[in-house]
Amino acid sequence: MKRKGMKRKLNETLTAYGFLLPNLLGLTLFVFVPMVYAFYVSLHEWNALSPKVFIGFDNYKEMASDKEWWNSVYRTLIFTVIYVPLLFAGSLFFAVMLNTMRQRFVGVARTMFLLPFAITSVISAVIWMFLYDPRNGFINQFFDLVGLPNQQFLGSTDQALLSIIIVIFWINLGYNMMIFLASIKEIPIDYYEAAKIDGATGWKAFWHITFPLLRPTSIFILVVTTIGSFQVFDQIMVMTKGGPANSTMVSVLYIYKQGFEFLNMGYASALAVVLFLIIFVLSLAQLRLYTKKD
Amino acid sequence: MKIWKLFSILSIALILLFQAGCSDSSSSSSGEKDGVVTLKFWDMHTDAEKAFFEDLVKEYNAANEGKVKIEYTAFNQSDYSNTKLPVAFANDEGPDVFMVSPGDFTKYAESNILADLNSYFPEGAKEDFLPASIEAVTYDDKVLALPYELELLGLYYNKKMLADAGVEVPKTWDELKSAAEKLTTSDVAGLVLPTDKAAYLNFIWYPFLWQQGGNVLNEDGTKSTFNSPEVAKALDYWGSFFQDGQAPSKLQYGPWDAGNLGTGSAAMSIVGTWLVPVLEKDYADTEFGLAPIPVPEGGKPATDAGGWKMAVNANSEHVDEAAKFIMWCFAEDKSRPLKWATEVKFAYSPRISVVEEGQAIYDKGLRKVFTEEIYDSAIPEPRFGPEIVDAVGEAMQQVMFGDVSGEDAAEEAHKKIEEALNK
Amino acid sequence: MGKNKTILTIFIFACGLLIILPIFFLVFSSFRTPEDVFKLSLNLSNLTLDNFKAVLETNILRAIWNSLVVSVTVTVVAMLFHAMSGYALARLNFPGKKFVFGWMISTMMVPFTVIMIPLYMVTKNLGLANSYGGLIIPMIFNAYGIFLFRQFYQDFPKELEEAAYVEGLSIAGTFFRLVLPLSKPMIIPLTIGFFTANWNNYLWPLIINQKEELMVVQVALANIVGGGYETAWSIVLAAALLSAIPTFIVFFSMQKYLVDGIKMSGIK
Repeated sequence: MKRKGMKRKLNETLTAYGFLLPNLLGLTLFVFVPMVYAFYVSLHEWNALSPKVFIGFDNYKEMASDKEWWNSVYRTLIFTVIYVPLLFAGSLFFAVMLNTMRQRFVGVARTMFLLPFAITSVISAVIWMFLYDPRNGFINQFFDLVGLPNQQFLGSTDQALLSIIIVIFWINLGYNMMIFLASIKEIPIDYYEAAKIDGATGWKAFWHITFPLLRPTSIFILVVTTIGSFQVFDQIMVMTKGGPANSTMVSVLYIYKQGFEFLNMGYASALAVVLFLIIFVLSLAQLRLYTKKD
Repeated sequence: MKIWKLFSILSIALILLFQAGCSDSSSSSSGEKDGVVTLKFWDMHTDAEKAFFEDLVKEYNAANEGKVKIEYTAFNQSDYSNTKLPVAFANDEGPDVFMVSPGDFTKYAESNILADLNSYFPEGAKEDFLPASIEAVTYDDKVLALPYELELLGLYYNKKMLADAGVEVPKTWDELKSAAEKLTTSDVAGLVLPTDKAAYLNFIWYPFLWQQGGNVLNEDGTKSTFNSPEVAKALDYWGSFFQDGQAPSKLQYGPWDAGNLGTGSAAMSIVGTWLVPVLEKDYADTEFGLAPIPVPEGGKPATDAGGWKMAVNANSEHVDEAAKFIMWCFAEDKSRPLKWATEVKFAYSPRISVVEEGQAIYDKGLRKVFTEEIYDSAIPEPRFGPEIVDAVGEAMQQVMFGDVSGEDAAEEAHKKIEEALNK
Repeated sequence: MGKNKTILTIFIFACGLLIILPIFFLVFSSFRTPEDVFKLSLNLSNLTLDNFKAVLETNILRAIWNSLVVSVTVTVVAMLFHAMSGYALARLNFPGKKFVFGWMISTMMVPFTVIMIPLYMVTKNLGLANSYGGLIIPMIFNAYGIFLFRQFYQDFPKELEEAAYVEGLSIAGTFFRLVLPLSKPMIIPLTIGFFTANWNNYLWPLIINQKEELMVVQVALANIVGGGYETAWSIVLAAALLSAIPTFIVFFSMQKYLVDGIKMSGIK
């Protein structure tokens, strides 16, 4: 009996690693090895053109007093604090709404929400630049119509970051909504029927059944969106290049500037290692926080 | 059942993959094969300019059949400088021949990536180049790139818009400022200037600094002179166009693009020589004028002479062949540089004999203004490293979009420049 | 109740219309002449097909084909690998599970720009530069899918698997015969996500491939945007619309299966 249990356990372990093997290999080769290499580079002075010079932890020391870097980290955090809750609440809200609406139309509605996701980030950035244009842009023309003052949007240090958040929210809302919706659809209908007998409908049913049962998906969306918000790059590069006056210079953009514009590859790698640690700690905290509740 | 379907798709995909992998094993890279030297030539030009270089390569390959074969590839400009070249050089796969921008020149020169071209100039050819243009590519007494164009800046304007607003063509800073103010309406921008931080932003601004005798660095390039009153004044003046809403804070076309003036969304813009043929060709219905960049009280006229250069990778196995190719392109026969500077685009050739040869074309239409009123005030675009370019750009952004005075912005940038120089 | 649902449906559609407004702009502008491209009027008289003609003169069709090969292959292989890994992490017990999960998640946290140069080195040394292999293989491995499948399988009803074990199926057999076919509700959204992400991938194909005949659609699009003295936005937008059509098709064809998800939940 015991031996059989052991055998089963061994079998389970072997199957598990068998299932994990392609990804373990692939991720090691194509992500982990490059990551380790980036750490190795961070201990050097390297401009990609001439040989690397080992300088120990000097890049990290330099970073401590790099005001522009810490400003970019701060800006990234602001971005995250606004964007992540906005996207999370928005996509959950619309998923629930789509789940309760007339189901005949749900396919059309979902497609409408999902369409922005189909368009390349560069092109959506271009479209929004037209909409945001301070002089002829659609939004300001609309503001004229309803008697609101015209805004500078991407041309203003106060509004640029928020304008970009709106674009990225617009792109990702439908996709995350779809993931939520897929999970909501997985909740057995009996649960709701049982709750109905207890008098829990609408908001109550959401709070006591839907939301708790969505926990695995919610954790996923939160962690992935947080990680993603630290890596937003394309849209900012196209729309503002970090400007005006650095108001949208987030960490990844600053790393790119150091690495590929200044060709300070060593320093850029050191910044990336630190950014990695920041994301790592944040994600770990999120995972811990949400899984502990169980 | 379903699994088998999935597996069959998977195996088809894998077969496809292997095929693709195998068929590539014979892919050619630079090197020697059957006595033929293969050279990689990377470029960032588009459209007609790309076609020009494609034709050059074809002609050269045909003339040197069995000896040299040049493989030409063109990339999107921003990816070219900041992605393709660094990744390639980091992997020792840099092209043998490539285009280098003034902003990248110093970094590449310092890293010994650029081959010395001194000995490859044909007899007497080097003397034909404007001394300033050779000086701009000289580093440690070595000529590290070949200049092939000088792009000058001027003030383009829409004649009808100026006439309708009763505005004279501005000659001084004050006139430019009041003209921009009068020409700005809800649909039209008075003056289009670049908005985003990039080397191009600084490029357009330098003349305002030089007109007053100011500069970013001292003569031998060892110290920052950015905390001077001239810098503060040029910054304040530039920033005022944005602060007062006469220059748009965001553009729908690039600041170098003909679209701003062409579509009638701007009355004036400071742009380079390249705009002339585009305006003539695509916006022939609108009348445009051109004037030198307005000068401050007591200042002297100044403009930038920009332009990319051709360079040879010093680590190439075939520096000789590569250098011979670029000399053939622009330093030998007059016809190729002339075609480039007059037919393909409009710019000035750095070669005196070529400009003389093309005299007739250099006097045509708006080109005449460049030739007669602007050319003599040209100063080569500085080849500062990216840290200095960034510091200057940051100071400009501060006066454009922040509530910072020119003096404070200059002081801040001055510190950063000193730091970069001492590195 | 019914009335509320109608109001809600109308509200959703109003929001949906607001969301696709910028896309309307894209569609209309791609049919406008270069002079009118920014005009936001609803005047439809001046529409032209010239932009699309100009786009089709470039090598975009070949690029669309390349992108299809790459995106489909990556998506199919990734779905299988990621579902397997996600299942193992959610359902199987084995030593080192927590570490493996944490390690995989951490691979998501490195900005791509930073590993670009070493990733190029690795791929080149595997002999994959300038080939479909180089475009495809490194893009398959991504913790995003593993993570989502893991979360999905955590709530998967245990009873089904237990019944399968009783019938003598092995773990692998249970997964492939029973669990995987029932994973459609998550495979479909992820397919959309993976296909789109790879379709829209730009930086990696740009650096790993030099060959004209393997150029993918986003690189071709960037070449149309160019950087010249005159940006023909109408042509760029037409190219953008054309290059988004395959993703639209994937969206629409997947809709059917997304709706299937509801019926499936009846099994439980």
